Amino acid sequence: MKKCMSAALSAALLLGLLSGCGGPGTEFDGTNTTSGSSDTLKIYNWGEYTGENLIQNFEEEYDCHVIMEYFDSNEMMYTKLSAGDSYDVLIPSDYMIERLIKEDYLQPLDKEVITNIDLLSDDCRGLDYDPENTYSIPYFWGSVGIVYNKTNVSPDDLAREGWNILADTKYAGRLYLYDSERDSFMMALKALGYSMNTQDEDEINAAYEWLCGIDETMQPVYVTDEIIDNMINGIKDIGIVYSGDAAYILSENPDMGYYCPEQGTNIWSDAMVIPKNASNPELANLFINYVLTYDASMDNTETVGYTSSNAEVMADAYGAGGVYEDNEAYIPRAGYEKDEVFRDNEVLRQKLSELWIKVKAR
Amino acid sequence: MKQFRSMAYPYVAWITVLVVLPMLLIIAYAFTVEGTAFFQGQFTLSNFARFFSDAVFLQVLLRSLRVAILTTIVCLLLGYPAAYAIARAGAGGTLLILIITLPTWINMLVRTYAWVGILQDGGLLNSLLGLLGIGPIQMMYTDFAVVLGMVYNFLPFMILEIHTSLSKMDPSFLEAASDLGANRTQAFLRVTLPMSVPGIISGITLVFLPAVSSFFIPKLLGGGQYVLIGNVIESQFLTSGNWSFGSALSLIMAIIIMLSMFLTRRLDRNRGIET
Amino acid sequence: MKKKLRPTRVVLAAVIAFFYIPIVYTVVFSFNESRSLTHFSGFSLRWYERMFSSATTMNAIWMTFLVAILATVLSTIIGTITVIGLSKCSRPLRSAVGMINDLPIMNPDIVTAIGLLMFFATMEVSKGFLTLLLAHVAFCTPYVMLSITPRLRTLDPNLADAALDLGANPWQALWHAIIPQLMPGIVSGALIAFTMSFDDFVISYFVTGNGVQNISILVYTMSKRINPSINAISTLVIVIITAALVLLNVIPIIRDRAAARRKKEETA
Repeated sequence: MKKCMSAALSAALLLGLLSGCGGPGTEFDGTNTTSGSSDTLKIYNWGEYTGENLIQNFEEEYDCHVIMEYFDSNEMMYTKLSAGDSYDVLIPSDYMIERLIKEDYLQPLDKEVITNIDLLSDDCRGLDYDPENTYSIPYFWGSVGIVYNKTNVSPDDLAREGWNILADTKYAGRLYLYDSERDSFMMALKALGYSMNTQDEDEINAAYEWLCGIDETMQPVYVTDEIIDNMINGIKDIGIVYSGDAAYILSENPDMGYYCPEQGTNIWSDAMVIPKNASNPELANLFINYVLTYDASMDNTETVGYTSSNAEVMADAYGAGGVYEDNEAYIPRAGYEKDEVFRDNEVLRQKLSELWIKVKAR
Repeated sequence: MKQFRSMAYPYVAWITVLVVLPMLLIIAYAFTVEGTAFFQGQFTLSNFARFFSDAVFLQVLLRSLRVAILTTIVCLLLGYPAAYAIARAGAGGTLLILIITLPTWINMLVRTYAWVGILQDGGLLNSLLGLLGIGPIQMMYTDFAVVLGMVYNFLPFMILEIHTSLSKMDPSFLEAASDLGANRTQAFLRVTLPMSVPGIISGITLVFLPAVSSFFIPKLLGGGQYVLIGNVIESQFLTSGNWSFGSALSLIMAIIIMLSMFLTRRLDRNRGIET
Repeated sequence: MKKKLRPTRVVLAAVIAFFYIPIVYTVVFSFNESRSLTHFSGFSLRWYERMFSSATTMNAIWMTFLVAILATVLSTIIGTITVIGLSKCSRPLRSAVGMINDLPIMNPDIVTAIGLLMFFATMEVSKGFLTLLLAHVAFCTPYVMLSITPRLRTLDPNLADAALDLGANPWQALWHAIIPQLMPGIVSGALIAFTMSFDDFVISYFVTGNGVQNISILVYTMSKRINPSINAISTLVIVIITAALVLLNVIPIIRDRAAARRKKEETA
């Protein structure tokens, strides 16, 4: 035993020492911080959110090296950013960009470089959080809606009840809700006919009661990303899903449909921004311009399934022969007056988070 | 052997820097108003008041303790015999220990996803049960799934710790016991079990402490409605951006657990004097 | 007597089966043709292709092993030395260190992570490999100490004195009398440390930077779109570790045999 262990220990030490001298791969650059040099670009993005070949193509075209790091929520990204970590390009969501602008984390984009801004779809240009696109260029965008099994859920019920179908006991035990206070309160407030950015105590409490009612009578399961696989496998009949994920679900399981209630929904967007502490803003601007090109945007949307911000790509992906031909979840509903964009509001954020715990834990 | 004493001092300095200082930062957060810049934070007790203002948080904490205790008991009941068998296995013991540990080197997330696939409606287990004409049984999003996931994750630690105290136990003790006329059960109860108490305590520590605050297993196997204190704390930091309340929650939890651990160790020490 | 089916052995066998069911499941689904982790639609190697062609993934696997091995070695050494030293210290210091040691084990990872993140931010340390390693050693050492302490407590306090009486100096007594007695605790401490380091996501995520990532970070951030490439990564890890363990156990045997043969030849 002792011999075996000391052998193991010395082997481990040896391995450790060896590894100090460089890894097996040629481009192992974990330990040296090359972030200062002019040919490195540090991107901080959602996981599984870029086209298969996009990064490689960009590296080749601009003779540079891209370091990708990933986050899983806007707040995770914010935490690392506020602790002083430096990145060249971030891709957060609308309300977070509003907050970053407010708190002076971002630098204006160089419009001389980003000439492809003209390719943006009008539907995601100049959104409320950044009306002139001074700081941000949309990357993907979409809506939030209901994915339902067309064989088990009647479209009439959906059209008649909208979000209230989640409270229809006919479907009890057959639904997934999205485990996020933001999205849950959005649908509750919309179901009751209020604005999802409301600060009115009574309206918020009514939404809380609405969610509690569902929790009591409908035996919902609160999930996050597992919903994608579960809906593809048709485990339950109704689920709250982001349109991009819905497009993917629909393309994998033809029984599924996507519906945005007439009571209104959340129109969201994730956009590219450059933080103030970026060490390579020139390359960052070039990257943003590159993502807007037809080929790069097409690569993105084909791989990920989210709606492109490039108008032509959007049309082609949805049109005849496109990857998302006639996929009802791919093109978000634009210009509908009851749809809204999330605004940043700290007091509301804390309030909703506390109420959401109460809904789930009662 | 006084010269050995100095060997502990570097570590005391080390934990002061890497454990105590970060913990002080967390404590500072717990007592400041959220949203103010950190170093000019205003002192407040409101984060603690919030915890006690609504029974729901206390319920969540109690539920976490219940699940953790259940997990610990199951781990102990399965872990002790397993560790005992390994300790008795002689030369094969090392290999068995490696066999027990190997699964823990697969990413916890991946292992838990595998359990989702196994337990799900229409998953592996239900398909097998279906062949036997049973079911389907709803297993996902139940206490069963959560405790199973936790036991799966923490049982290896319990086995390792108990095995440590059982292995290399001087067989002459047992011989002496049997010479004195003790039967096997008596020998086990009077000799083996008391000698393995320190290992049991370590095992309980290693299972119970992380089980109370675990968040990923309940989230995936219990669903979002299975709220444990670890999930609440995690969401305060990672989705609501409410560090002060998250810090206060973890502080309250730490105090309660520290107290219970302190009592457990008391018990251990007293028993140590008796035997 | 040896062949007898003891109940403890039945439990052990059941426990081992329990441990390996999900592992087998993981390996099987790494060959799944589709993206699903629950429906097997056909055999395919596409997730392996994808893994091997991704420099990020291969770097992460490499980084995980590197950090885990270094953190295990360092924390095992630090932990062993400290436990022995502490046993000679006063009881208040001992219990204070014990309590503080429980903190990283008990605190939700996110709390430890935020603490370290803010600490490194305040110190203005550039985050990367070193901060990652430092953090891993910091949270692994308490596990090592927790494993060794019970062993030390059952140790005969006269052992070291006996060695000293036999003319050993204190360091020899430490190395030849005390450490071997602690070995089972040290081994399980090292195993647990390796597990903790290998498996950690939350703390690693917040203390690393500049593109240094481990498997957990990759798996976690990839889980948006769950797909079998995380199973392929796991399978590769199983293969690497099993190979390493087999080598470690086989090499001494071969060496011993070769030595025995040489001896035979010499005597012949």
